Amino acid sequence: MRLAGTAVAGSGIVRFGDHRPRSTAELARDAGLAALHDAGMTLADVDEAFVGYIQPGSLLGVRAMKELGLTGLPVTHVENASATGLVAFREAAWAVASGRARVAMALAFDKMTEMAGGGGRSRGTGRDQLDATILPAAYFALWAQRRMHDRGTKPEHFAAVAAKNWNHGAHCPWSDRQTDHVVTVEEVLASRLVSEPLTAMMACPADDGAACVIVAAEDLVRGRQPGRRLVRPVASVLRSETYSPGHTFLGPVVGPASMTRDTAAAAYEAAGLGPEDVDLALCHDAFANEELEYYELLGFCAEGDGERLVETGATALGGSIPFNTDGGLIARGHPGGPTGLAMVHEIVHQLRGAAGDRQVEGARTALAHLVGGGSVCTVSLFEGVGS
Amino acid sequence: MARVPIEDGYFTVPDDPADAPRLLGSRCTACGEHFFPRRHVCARCLAEGCENVLLGPRGRLWTWTYVHVPLFAKKDARVDAYGVGQVDLPEGPRVQAILLGGPDDFRIGIDMELDLETLRTDDDGREVVIFRFRPVDGTEP
Repeated sequence: MRLAGTAVAGSGIVRFGDHRPRSTAELARDAGLAALHDAGMTLADVDEAFVGYIQPGSLLGVRAMKELGLTGLPVTHVENASATGLVAFREAAWAVASGRARVAMALAFDKMTEMAGGGGRSRGTGRDQLDATILPAAYFALWAQRRMHDRGTKPEHFAAVAAKNWNHGAHCPWSDRQTDHVVTVEEVLASRLVSEPLTAMMACPADDGAACVIVAAEDLVRGRQPGRRLVRPVASVLRSETYSPGHTFLGPVVGPASMTRDTAAAAYEAAGLGPEDVDLALCHDAFANEELEYYELLGFCAEGDGERLVETGATALGGSIPFNTDGGLIARGHPGGPTGLAMVHEIVHQLRGAAGDRQVEGARTALAHLVGGGSVCTVSLFEGVGS
Repeated sequence: MARVPIEDGYFTVPDDPADAPRLLGSRCTACGEHFFPRRHVCARCLAEGCENVLLGPRGRLWTWTYVHVPLFAKKDARVDAYGVGQVDLPEGPRVQAILLGGPDDFRIGIDMELDLETLRTDDDGREVVIFRFRPVDGTEP
């Protein structure tokens, strides 16, 4: 179903990075206040909130919300692993689209620096022990190895995606990683081998951060923000896995490729749009090989053409379909919960024409995609409407 | 020495260490689909009441990687690096597991065999074991 009658009223972020001395509630407060300021609102204007994080601990969301005020608004916790932030956004958007709320907030925060093994999970008990020693990089490396076997993909292709995103991040003020030089394919390949064929520079950092997006009824946003370009979510879809033979049940897995293809197809259909309408995309590039896969699964090229897309520079800033304009998970960072809301924050800047020297010329339509372990996939589509 | 699984319900531990272990799986009595690990509801046709079956011990390597940064393994102080793979069993399931062997031992398509690795000795002096896959000697993809 098409999301109708909603618009992003405001967004805010606490730059992703090492925030060890600060509490998650403090990070959440600063992101929430930034979004409220951007929207010209206080918490008194907000009818409902959806709060996400993936770090251990219960009720952290409802506690973090108290830092912004105690107004009696309903607060719901949302958790979908890496997809958490974008799923919180989906709940907020649909709460407004349904008419249940006039203004809804999606807030997420996390501190990967406080999690065991830099983003890993605790060893756990029972079933979890069976593969508690497997590094997350391994799951994506398994995918990369198979692609190299099937398609003749080279590590240079993965390195080219990573270098592009490192270099995009240098133009984004809230990107965790800011390089002082142009990152090359050679530099990415020369970094430490983490898990065959993925190197350290092909992987996202384990960082901290918070982000917030406020969605409101379109008429309310138009009334309060005259003259500002309107950013409208037009589709927001969430799916889990569909069974197919050969499904891997035991162990954390990244899910079948069909999950992203099906989710994107549902989002395009809901919005009445196709990949040819999209001007920029942000995707789950926790590891560089993923982005190559998503070029195809999100419909931006035919199956097997992903390598060509990165070779020709089509997905770099200035290309025909720039991917991860803010640096993506690889450079902008991936604290877990807030990642999806950072994507919306970037899309809001791009569709308002406020993205500075990383602005995609004439950007009108944008796509955000995340997968989350378990597995789930979520895709949202946005349209910018002239002032 | 007596051996016990790290977790019950996933694999057999033969009394004779020379015998190959098997995986504890399920077969749907309605549509015949096989699963690992065991489940009650068939994921293919949603029929209830899958029956218990033994799976393996052999399969084919679908994909593999070799982890050089054993963040978590360091806690066990056992290994510096390790293989991870997904193995397709002839019955259908694709099983993800740690692989025994070095990076030069693995190629997509080679035959793999289930094996048990001893992780530690428990307070009762029993060996605590977990299942792994290792390349079958002398096979080519």
